Amino acid sequence: MTGNTRVLMSMIYWAFVIYLFVPLMLMVLMGFKASKFIGFPIKAWTLEWYLGVFESAEVIDVFAYSMTIAIASTALSLFIGTWIALLLGPNRFFGRAALFALTCLPAVIPGIISAISLRIYARLLEIDPGMIAIILGHTVHNVPFVALVVMARLSTLPQSQLEAARDLGADQAVTFLRITLPYLKPALIGAAVFCLLLSFDDFVRSFFLGGYEPTLPVLIFAKLRSGMSPEINAIATVALVITAVLGLWAERWTRRVTP
Amino acid sequence: MTMGERTRLSSSAYGAASASGDRRPFWGALVSHSGYQSLTDLIFKSPRRQFLLLASLPVAWVLVAHLGPILQMFWVSFLDSYPPTVGQEPGFTVANWKKFFEERIFMMPFFRTLIFALIVTLSTLLLTYPVAYFLAKHVKRRNQMIFLLLILIPFWVGEIVRTYAIMILLGNNGAINLLLKSIGLIERPIPFMYTTFSMSVGIVYLTALYMLLPLYSALEKIPDSYREAAADLGAGPWTRFWRVTLPLSKEGITSGCTLVFLISTGFYATPVLLGGPSTTVFAETIAGFFHVAGDQWPVGAAFASIMLIATLALTGLFLKVMGRGGKGLLQ
Repeated sequence: MTGNTRVLMSMIYWAFVIYLFVPLMLMVLMGFKASKFIGFPIKAWTLEWYLGVFESAEVIDVFAYSMTIAIASTALSLFIGTWIALLLGPNRFFGRAALFALTCLPAVIPGIISAISLRIYARLLEIDPGMIAIILGHTVHNVPFVALVVMARLSTLPQSQLEAARDLGADQAVTFLRITLPYLKPALIGAAVFCLLLSFDDFVRSFFLGGYEPTLPVLIFAKLRSGMSPEINAIATVALVITAVLGLWAERWTRRVTP
Repeated sequence: MTMGERTRLSSSAYGAASASGDRRPFWGALVSHSGYQSLTDLIFKSPRRQFLLLASLPVAWVLVAHLGPILQMFWVSFLDSYPPTVGQEPGFTVANWKKFFEERIFMMPFFRTLIFALIVTLSTLLLTYPVAYFLAKHVKRRNQMIFLLLILIPFWVGEIVRTYAIMILLGNNGAINLLLKSIGLIERPIPFMYTTFSMSVGIVYLTALYMLLPLYSALEKIPDSYREAAADLGAGPWTRFWRVTLPLSKEGITSGCTLVFLISTGFYATPVLLGGPSTTVFAETIAGFFHVAGDQWPVGAAFASIMLIATLALTGLFLKVMGRGGKGLLQ
């Protein structure tokens, strides 16, 4: 490849990075504007909007509600997804391919269809719209990702370690707890943070499965429909910081999964 | 060996034993506990029983939680009323499905969504291919993580927040209009918002990563020696790209396009916020039967089923065509 194309390629890369970052930076910046109207130029600056986020009981409640949902659905997804991976990973049996395809199904169904099919299903199971419905909905969506990540990690587990444990007298339960589970730890942490992010950021399922209490994205959506304001920028920025910190922390773990 | 050395050795050996002994009692006590033994006997004694136990939860979960909602949606789409009214059996009907083919206001958003998703998929491919190529082939291996991370970070931010960021960028008082005005290119702001353009920018912004990652991993797998061999045989840069790199990255292109297509047909909030009345997508039509127009769940279910069948059929067809083409090119 000639030097010119290399320069061109790197310019495209940096242009792409700018395209990704600039809108978010503008959004963060607009939260400091001392005016009710969203728009450039920004002539006066204030911290009022950001301070308002931490003072508003409503917004803090919504943060807590979203976090509760994210943590509960992540715990459930990890449990179910890992169990599925333990079945599908090392075992060969009749119907395995079908089970694998069904495991991945929620990950490939377009969001709106997933959301409304879950809404109808919740009615059949007589689960009222609200926290439980959202937690279960997010779990359905997250399980495929957990199963795939754990299966990938499981496939690299050296069989010799399992055999050594058996030779030393460990039964299957002890082998699982002391060999397999510690080996899966980086994958489990990576998957957990991924699930937390997916759940915390999810709009469409929370919107259709939710009751009167909104999750954070639903709250931002509702506020946006009644008009843009720097208050929304401040709320969105706090959400952005939470997700970025969680993501960066997870990144350190997932890097260990694939060294 | 002197006396002192011997004591030290034996004491260190004793120390090691006691250190490991500290940990052993928990597992030792657990394993020798009678309750634990009868429990593990129950689970592990027969391999058949063990397998059935292992398979029980996954099979139950996948059938009830993954397949159940989709089947229930199909079922409801054939009912004349749902949720059921008390003391009344819902009857069967195909009217919900027929409604789609009878009215233009439903057909239009449907085809608009599919065409729109195709355009988005193609633009995302063209936009991210050079980026993925640069990452996989030009960035030094030890820097790749940082370069990749720079792209990953914005994608952790949620759908709504990123949609809002695009609204601020493209609005009449937005950053782009301000920039164009200040360099004197325009006098009045260009109305970017609530058009197909703003919607495309938003959805490409949301889906680019799902194209980029498969492309990157496919390109990264191509050994440099292949291109060098092609160059030694006299192939120019374009020939090398068309005959070596592109065919070998086909797998990444296929999975990236499939993912982006499926995801971009399913967006609801982004078209609502960035689109206008002339850009209504099918997701908004479906949602209307659940939120706005009273409860017409069976019609909504029928429309969602139509969309699911259409998107899965199109991606199935695409995968089949690409699969065959890929084999042909590699031979």
